Amino acid sequence: MIDSGKQPEIKRVEITVNGKTVQARTDKPLIHACLQAESEVPHYCYHPGLSPVGSCRICQVEVQQGKMPARVMVACRTPVAAGMVVDTESKGAHDSRKECLEFLLKNHPLDCPICDKAGECTLQDYSFAEGQGEGRSVEPRRKLEKRKDLGDVIMLDQERCILCSRCVRFMEEVPETPQLCVAGRGSHSIIETWNNQPLSGNYQGNLADVCPVGALTLKSFRFKARVWNLTKTASSCGECSRGCSTTVEVLRAGEIVRIRPRHDEEVNKWWMCDTGRFALDHFSEVDRLVGACMPSATRGWDQFPVEDGLQVAADMLMAAEKPLIVASPWLTVEEGTELLTLGRQLNGRVAFVSPAQNELADDLLHTGDPAPNRRGLTDLGFEALSPEEILSAASEHSSILCIGERVASLLGEDGFNSLPSATRVLLFDCALPAAQEVGNSPIDLAIGLATSAERAGHWVNIDGIRRPILQARPAPTGVWNTVRLLQNLLGLLATREIQS
Amino acid sequence: MSHETYLFSRMDREDTHTLKGYEAQGGYQAFKKILSEGTSPTDVTGIVKDSGLRGRGGAGFPTGLKWSFMPDPTKDSRTRYMAVNADESEPGTCKDRILMERDPHGLLEGCMIAAWAMGLAGIYIYVRGEYRLSYARLDEAIQEARAAGLIGKNIMGSDFSCEVQMHKGAGAYICGEETGLMESLEGKRGHPRPKPPFPAGFGLWGQPTTVNNVESIFNVPFILERGSDWFKTMGTEKSPGNFLCGVSGHVEKPGVYEIALGTPASTILNEYAGGVWRGRELRAWIPGGSSTGFLRPEVIDTPMDHDSVKAVGSMFGTGAMIILDQTASVVRSALVLMNFYEHESCGQCSQCREGTEWLAQVFQRIHDGHGRMEDIDLLTDIANGMAPGKTICALADAAAIPTHSVIRNFRDELVEYVQEGGHAAVSKKRSLPLEVV
Ligand SMILES: Cc1cc2nc3c(=O)[nH]c(=O)nc-3n(C[C@H](O)[C@H](O)[C@H](O)COP(=O)(O)O)c2cc1C
Ligand code: SF4
Ligand code: SF4
Ligand code: FES
Repeated sequence: MIDSGKQPEIKRVEITVNGKTVQARTDKPLIHACLQAESEVPHYCYHPGLSPVGSCRICQVEVQQGKMPARVMVACRTPVAAGMVVDTESKGAHDSRKECLEFLLKNHPLDCPICDKAGECTLQDYSFAEGQGEGRSVEPRRKLEKRKDLGDVIMLDQERCILCSRCVRFMEEVPETPQLCVAGRGSHSIIETWNNQPLSGNYQGNLADVCPVGALTLKSFRFKARVWNLTKTASSCGECSRGCSTTVEVLRAGEIVRIRPRHDEEVNKWWMCDTGRFALDHFSEVDRLVGACMPSATRGWDQFPVEDGLQVAADMLMAAEKPLIVASPWLTVEEGTELLTLGRQLNGRVAFVSPAQNELADDLLHTGDPAPNRRGLTDLGFEALSPEEILSAASEHSSILCIGERVASLLGEDGFNSLPSATRVLLFDCALPAAQEVGNSPIDLAIGLATSAERAGHWVNIDGIRRPILQARPAPTGVWNTVRLLQNLLGLLATREIQS
Repeated sequence: MSHETYLFSRMDREDTHTLKGYEAQGGYQAFKKILSEGTSPTDVTGIVKDSGLRGRGGAGFPTGLKWSFMPDPTKDSRTRYMAVNADESEPGTCKDRILMERDPHGLLEGCMIAAWAMGLAGIYIYVRGEYRLSYARLDEAIQEARAAGLIGKNIMGSDFSCEVQMHKGAGAYICGEETGLMESLEGKRGHPRPKPPFPAGFGLWGQPTTVNNVESIFNVPFILERGSDWFKTMGTEKSPGNFLCGVSGHVEKPGVYEIALGTPASTILNEYAGGVWRGRELRAWIPGGSSTGFLRPEVIDTPMDHDSVKAVGSMFGTGAMIILDQTASVVRSALVLMNFYEHESCGQCSQCREGTEWLAQVFQRIHDGHGRMEDIDLLTDIANGMAPGKTICALADAAAIPTHSVIRNFRDELVEYVQEGGHAAVSKKRSLPLEVV
């Protein structure tokens, strides 16, 4: 379980790193203080979220303590002590790291040109920064399995593996489902799954992040992109009310090819679940609702621009006695605020869809509550109604406005389609529910919205922690930002009020 | 050569391995005396410390000093353990086996004295898997001692209790490294742990633990019975006492001999082991187990004690001498050793995992006649990259030291291999006419 907030008292001592004074935490190894002082210390087996094992031996720094002569030692297994003087750039430290790299590269296949990790591989980075141009080994390189399928998510290339054991420790320590092991010994060591079983669980994707090299890669990302062509935007995941901090990575043309966890000490540390990581389809440009549309008896769906759609919406909502306004829990705090103003203006009943708990809940991150901004909307004063409550309330209202990403699907396809025909249905969503045919569809007006990768704002997670979502890619042409949409609608209503 | 012996003093009796036979020769008296007189644990540790006994497991660390690192029980109430290292896997070393097979109660008495001195709740004896007789004899001895109230709950009716358990190794050299041994005892892979923390603070299951070699512990009852001054009359000032010297290789009488520390290696070779076999010349010798490297015949008069062996650029190690005659090849022997270290590296540390393989590959090439002159410097650089103190445990050092020794002491042979086309050519030159024995 990620324990957010409450931490035992942290003790600190003063040490010097490359001339800088640092207040170093005593519960962390020396490398933590070095990195905190923004000194680059190469590391492979060390990962701040995993127990340190001190085995790769790359993180050598020079340490001078008391009257003892300065010594080169591994920073990830050295406890800090007051008065330590650390030099991460000394000749001794550089030489040791250089030596260590030569060993690490001795059997490395050097297939960077076809490796997905190239560009974000620390073996590549440190070899470039510290290594020697050419290896001196003339021995044949180890031949191992280059494509070992570890299940639905991960592909293992044993030749690239540097045996840092991060993956093994991740499985043991984070989801606490040990499934990987080092098999064999010495130079015959390889990473394997127990009994060659495929990996399971909802946290496999993190393996590709913890692996410092291209040994563990995401099958879904294999040969998809060179990482230097990706534009990265900080955001938050919307698949549950944890709201893990993420980085959304967009390939040139605008396709979101990868979502990765972003370190956030209070929310998700370094991790995220596979449900969130692979929720890419949701951001696809295919089958999106663009502009506005209305059913027409003769022409099917009548398409028109958002401006015109808003005019129709204003008319419809003005005509309603007390509209039911149903928000998606994906609306941001900013959008919710606008929506509340709209609700007041229309004297409507404002609620958000409070979906039932799903079976994805676990002890680590996933809350099983697919409502990323439940807390934010609740705090704003939204009423939380279950899909059933909303459907039964709908018949009491002459109009219903369903607004926000996924709102129709949260009501359930059947539920949405069974909205009473006497009630006017306005749907503002990113896509139309499946198989909406004129004649069968309850929709009277639909307007397309931007997904959470195409707009900015804030969500408040289950623990009351406010985190941003930021625009990672432009919305399709003809799709407006939700806040702009709401403000325009408010403007139209105000004008109409004055006119009447 | 005659000198006082004590380690092997009970070897002549057939039934020494039984409780009856052991007690008939004064066994368990030292332990019983401590218990009945209530000698304080600190005094017992003090006597061992004062004796100057140095560990016989390889590093020669003073045993009493090691015991004194265990935290004060009045300030730290955690459960304490000792692990007796009976994994004996260093090539050339075969001394602990004799003690366990022939005199297991001697080891147990040492264990119980250690238990008293350090306030141990449990002792694990980690026995090399292949040592079946050692295991069986120790097992019987433990049962007998337990039945006699010398091990277990309320020993000899006192309120002092300590259990002894055995564990069988499964054939990994690395499980003889003290922290690899502890991991293995805990049921994990024998991956040595980085130090700090040291075993005395964080050992078995995170509790204070001392790891000692069989022979080290075996010395303890004698020291307690006869006093530290007696102990210091043998051996040298810095390395007192006798040690068990396993002599193997090209000698007339290979075996394990009880020798006073400081005895010249030549004396051991010639007077105990009968000299290089068949009257041949000495090409090279290893002083203290495979990790200590190859020395030249010119230094065969070196006294076998920690400081003297160090002075000639090697280590006393486990005191196991390996003798190579004139027909033998140092390069080929080094290759055999490198294959061993490659096979036994646990593989955690980059330098050791890759370096042991690399050294083996380079020696193999030189052996096979594909060596290059630059390989000699390459070997030095590889070994320098691995040690000293660059890895979690000393296995990397154990591979680097013999490598350096070959280059330092037998460079001529390396050059010969490179220039003359490898082992086939070199060994032909060295072979002697067939002898009819
Ligand atoms: C790779 C490696 C293997 C070792 N194997 C043994 C062994 O088989 N038996 C042993 O007593 N010590 C062995 N040691 C030494 C132990 O780590 C430890 O120093 C010793 O057991 C301590 O006992 P002592 O202080 O009584 O000598 C080994 C050390 C290393 C680095
Ligand atoms: S697969 Fe990656 S994370 Fe796992 S041990 Fe190898 S290099 Fe490390
Ligand atoms: S030095 Fe070698 S044997 Fe020792 S821990 Fe490292 S890899 Fe394992
Ligand atoms: S990062 Fe410190 S030893 Fe691997």
